[in-house]
Amino acid sequence: MFEKSLYDLIRGRRNHKGHEKEYIQNCLKECRSEIRSQDMDVKATALLKLIYLEMVGHDMSWASFHVLEVMSSPKYHQKRVGYLGAVQTFRSDTEVLMLATNLLKKDLAAAQPTIISLPIAALPHIITPSLALSVLTDLVPRLGHSHPTIRKKTIVTLYRLALVYPETLRAAWPKIKERLMDKNEDPSVTAAIVNVVCELGWRRPNDFLPLAPRLFELLVDGGNNWMAIKLIKLFATLTPLEPRLVRKLLPPLTDLIRTTPAMSLLYECINGIIQGGILGDGEDFAASEEIASLCVSKLRGMIMMNGDANLKYVALLAFNRIVVTHPFLVAQQEDVIMECIDSEDITIRIKALDLVQGMVSSENLVSIVSRLMRQLKASPSSSLAHQQSVQSADLETDSSDEAAPESGRRPKSQDHPPPLPEDYTIDVIGRILNMCSQNNYASLSDFDWYIDVLTQLVRIAPVPRKRETDSDLSGSVPKHLATDISEKIGNEIRNVAVKVKIVRVAAVRAAELIILKLNSEVTPSHPVVSGALKPLAWIVGEYAFQLSSPHDSLGHLLRLIPRIEYPEILTTCLQSVIKLFAHIAGDDQAPWTSERKASMSLLMSRVIHVLEPLALHPYLEVQERGVEFIELLKLTAEAASGQAPSTNEVRQDPPLLLTQAIPSLFNGWELNSVARGAQQNVPMPDGLDLDEPIHPNLNALLSQADSLMLPAQGEDEFETYYHQKPPATSISNEPAINRLAEVAEDVPPSSYQQAGEESYLDADIIARRKAERMERNRDDPFYILGSGSSGGTSTPIHNILEKENGPGLDIDSIPIMKLDLESLSTGLGNSSAPAADKAPRQAKPRQKIVIAADETLGGSGRSTPRNYESENNSDSFTKSKAKKLKQSLLQVDSSHLRELSLEASQPDDALTAERQQRDEAEMAQAMKEVQRLRLEMQRANERIQVAQGVPAEGIVVKKKKPKKQPKLGEDGGEAAAATTTVKVKKKKKKAAVGDGGEGSASTPAAEPVVKAKKKPKRIVQLDDDPGTPVDGL
Amino acid sequence: MINAFLVFNGQGQPRLTKFYTQLDTSIQQRLISEIFTLVSNRPPGSCNFLPLPPLLAASGTSHSASEPHNDVPSLVTYRNYATLYFIIISTSTESPLALIDLIQVYVEALDRLFENVCELDLIFNFETLHATLGEMIVGGVVIETNMDRIVAGVRAQGTVAKRPVNESRSTGLGAGLGMGGNFVWHGR
Repeated sequence: MFEKSLYDLIRGRRNHKGHEKEYIQNCLKECRSEIRSQDMDVKATALLKLIYLEMVGHDMSWASFHVLEVMSSPKYHQKRVGYLGAVQTFRSDTEVLMLATNLLKKDLAAAQPTIISLPIAALPHIITPSLALSVLTDLVPRLGHSHPTIRKKTIVTLYRLALVYPETLRAAWPKIKERLMDKNEDPSVTAAIVNVVCELGWRRPNDFLPLAPRLFELLVDGGNNWMAIKLIKLFATLTPLEPRLVRKLLPPLTDLIRTTPAMSLLYECINGIIQGGILGDGEDFAASEEIASLCVSKLRGMIMMNGDANLKYVALLAFNRIVVTHPFLVAQQEDVIMECIDSEDITIRIKALDLVQGMVSSENLVSIVSRLMRQLKASPSSSLAHQQSVQSADLETDSSDEAAPESGRRPKSQDHPPPLPEDYTIDVIGRILNMCSQNNYASLSDFDWYIDVLTQLVRIAPVPRKRETDSDLSGSVPKHLATDISEKIGNEIRNVAVKVKIVRVAAVRAAELIILKLNSEVTPSHPVVSGALKPLAWIVGEYAFQLSSPHDSLGHLLRLIPRIEYPEILTTCLQSVIKLFAHIAGDDQAPWTSERKASMSLLMSRVIHVLEPLALHPYLEVQERGVEFIELLKLTAEAASGQAPSTNEVRQDPPLLLTQAIPSLFNGWELNSVARGAQQNVPMPDGLDLDEPIHPNLNALLSQADSLMLPAQGEDEFETYYHQKPPATSISNEPAINRLAEVAEDVPPSSYQQAGEESYLDADIIARRKAERMERNRDDPFYILGSGSSGGTSTPIHNILEKENGPGLDIDSIPIMKLDLESLSTGLGNSSAPAADKAPRQAKPRQKIVIAADETLGGSGRSTPRNYESENNSDSFTKSKAKKLKQSLLQVDSSHLRELSLEASQPDDALTAERQQRDEAEMAQAMKEVQRLRLEMQRANERIQVAQGVPAEGIVVKKKKPKKQPKLGEDGGEAAAATTTVKVKKKKKKAAVGDGGEGSASTPAAEPVVKAKKKPKRIVQLDDDPGTPVDGL
Repeated sequence: MINAFLVFNGQGQPRLTKFYTQLDTSIQQRLISEIFTLVSNRPPGSCNFLPLPPLLAASGTSHSASEPHNDVPSLVTYRNYATLYFIIISTSTESPLALIDLIQVYVEALDRLFENVCELDLIFNFETLHATLGEMIVGGVVIETNMDRIVAGVRAQGTVAKRPVNESRSTGLGAGLGMGGNFVWHGR
């Protein structure tokens, strides 16, 4: 019978297109039996096939023991396959790894360099602290191997050992250093050392400062670009510690910048200068100035250089670093950076966005946001594509007569670029919101524009993915509501409505419109999932008096409610419905006519009808509010039907429940935004004891209440209770008209500044803007009105124009206006005229718009909005990120290294001293333990030698998990018969104290520290460790 | 350091996977397919760097300008040769441009070993791919960038198998691919 070779397998796979799966399953089955074969060749071939299949995604962890078998083959080409298998498939939980130790040690001591290479290269993939401990003694001597390949691989492997077992460095570093200092060392070994030092360097820069002279030497006449790059990176971490290095480094670096033909090296030189804080750091101001401008101009050149996107990318990376320390240098490059935002390449875009976010100011905010909006609008996110297709059809026709002069731009936006990935869209929207709301809207001057942008964003925002937790499950807590971007947008609208009084009306109207659109857009069968609804519904309810039509809004909400998917949104909507109802119904001036009575009872029954199903909602909050409002409305409906309408003769008041009680539920102080954390500063009232029962005999009271029938006059009490509150009413119910008037006058006529908004706002939004603008500027003598409505005003320009062009001209075709548009959309800062033009106009609104700050309590400085921002962005953010990143995929954690010092004589601070003391104590204890263990092992050893021979192959027979009793495993002495290895298993408890003792014979100093760091789990592993040669015996 | 080195073809079939940390097979596959999606959607003329795939981005690095954590894989570099994509995932301690060159060195070394390498060579000799990579990178740290030494190191491990004779030859990988690259690298 023939076995397939790897070649056959691959060919077969290629020939079985279509039913590949079956074929592979068959192959796997074959491999399973082949790998059990006695013939090592068959075994190795089967393993090779399995490795191939693993690469394609078929797990082979079950074969780990066979991997070990092949690894131990005496033939090199088989051994190599075995090691490859180990590298590719061994995971930290692979148990046979513990059996491999002796094999590894044996191969490390082999004669041929090719064989030595195998364990050296494999170790980084399979290393564990216990394994590191046991192979360290075999690995370190390889640093002196005659073959340079072995030396350099050993160095790197030692580094990886050190990552899991820091003590490695204590033993290995002196030797590595010796290699580094040796000028006759093979250059590729030196390069490898530099690579390792660079990896270590950013963790412990202090330890490498003494090496600086040698490293400098290597940098100047190394001649290896890869090494030079690494050296520069290393120096960049060293210079902050040793400023004198800067002066030494500058000449060679500038020299390299000027001469090197390798772009990568050039870039890293610049990068090193930036990162090392060399820019503008030295006392020699002129020189550093020169360097700074040299760097920045080179970077600028990289971005400008056409056709090489890689340079663009790395230049942006560098700018991202500079911007932290030298924002002004980057700000000068705004033009080129802005170009990158529109790059086709998402990688570049994201990097540019990172940068831009830091550069936002009141001057460029609008143009930056406009660019981003245009992008978003131009390519609807993939998930939205189908949904928008319907709506965009009528939009397209709409805007074609709307934006006729814009037709030049049209074709460009019509050949849709490939849809943006959803997370990118979300990311960009998030950034837009951040940029605008930064520092309590410091850079924002035109809130009307902002509201329009937000309205547009709600439409663009991708629909949140369905939540996996079904909302029908009771008590399902929202998990990723926070990630719903449309809710964030809605929150912004709400924030503006709350904080910026003069645009509140606009914000409320916007909310009204969006709800209307939501209602009409989403087909009735579909659930409503947009998170924006929650804050918007709140606005509509809270500022009901500013709605253009509360009645309609109520209708929309009522129609939406049954389709709302998420309970959190539902609760807010419920509240809003009642607020709206209170506003509509609560007019106590209007007479109680029969029409009013009829419409009221109709409205109430409608609301009750919608709310009724919610009384059984699984989500408690919804249920509670539902029941409350239903009962209240039923009561009111009863009262209303009992109240006869006023006739011509008898004037009847409307029921007080309707006009007084319900409205007073919601009339209180005006709600302002409260700074995060401020609430915690509210002092606890003196007499308040939260643990005290509300009523000593609560149960009795409750049972009494059950049997109590509601007295008929209870209604009156209810009313009088609410009558006592009206003072509050007067506070909040300012006449809305006041504010309206104010708005009409105050909103600055700056909206035409936002050139090109046609390209990112939907047609209906633009139309509204236009109308508003027209309205606003009717009396402005400097504003040219459309011909139809020119009224009585006549300005010189107007006259001239009218003469030249005749009446009925289109405003948008006036060249002056066009000029304005263009200069703004093409770029900032390069044309002085519009800038000068802009300044005064923008200064004006800034003074007038009052943005309410978050409310805080005294002494709650940390909770001001500014802090909140920065808290969010920098410090705690990175900290929390760092924590999270611990678990990041692919990451090799090197944080242990931080705790280890390379120079034994170095530490003198109290902390280390204390640690040393502790270590010593542990050490003493450990030594005792070691003594005890030795005795034990000695006895065991004697027993073995008496009782048993040595198994044929050098593989340890693996046993089950540790038992309570010491158990002996035996092990062939592979290297020499003299060193019999003993495997000792001990009680777990014992392991925690002094288990490392078995291996500590050779490195006793290392031992206590390892123990201190190890987690219990690891110790169990150690426990199973087939120990190192016990030379002490 | 380098966290992973991957090679896959235009259909996303892996030709070489090397992760320098231990990772479950299923997660490896997910990562490969995520990167493949990213790579295959690149417009022409874009740079050789990818945004982090969702699996890696989950840890949220895209925001902060300066990466305080050098341990985190933050850079995905790729290079396309004929039908193949070569990918390196690395931390910020590596130089982006140099990584592009590193891929170039790898491909050139393969080209020398196989004499005008093509995808078929790589499919059938993935052991040699591993060996070559092993001469350049150990445990995620680059140990050699010199072509001659790399090739010599691989050859020292035994003869490199030739491609099976009866397989049809596709176009060479190295030949038509602008081996010159964008960056000249002297004295490697």
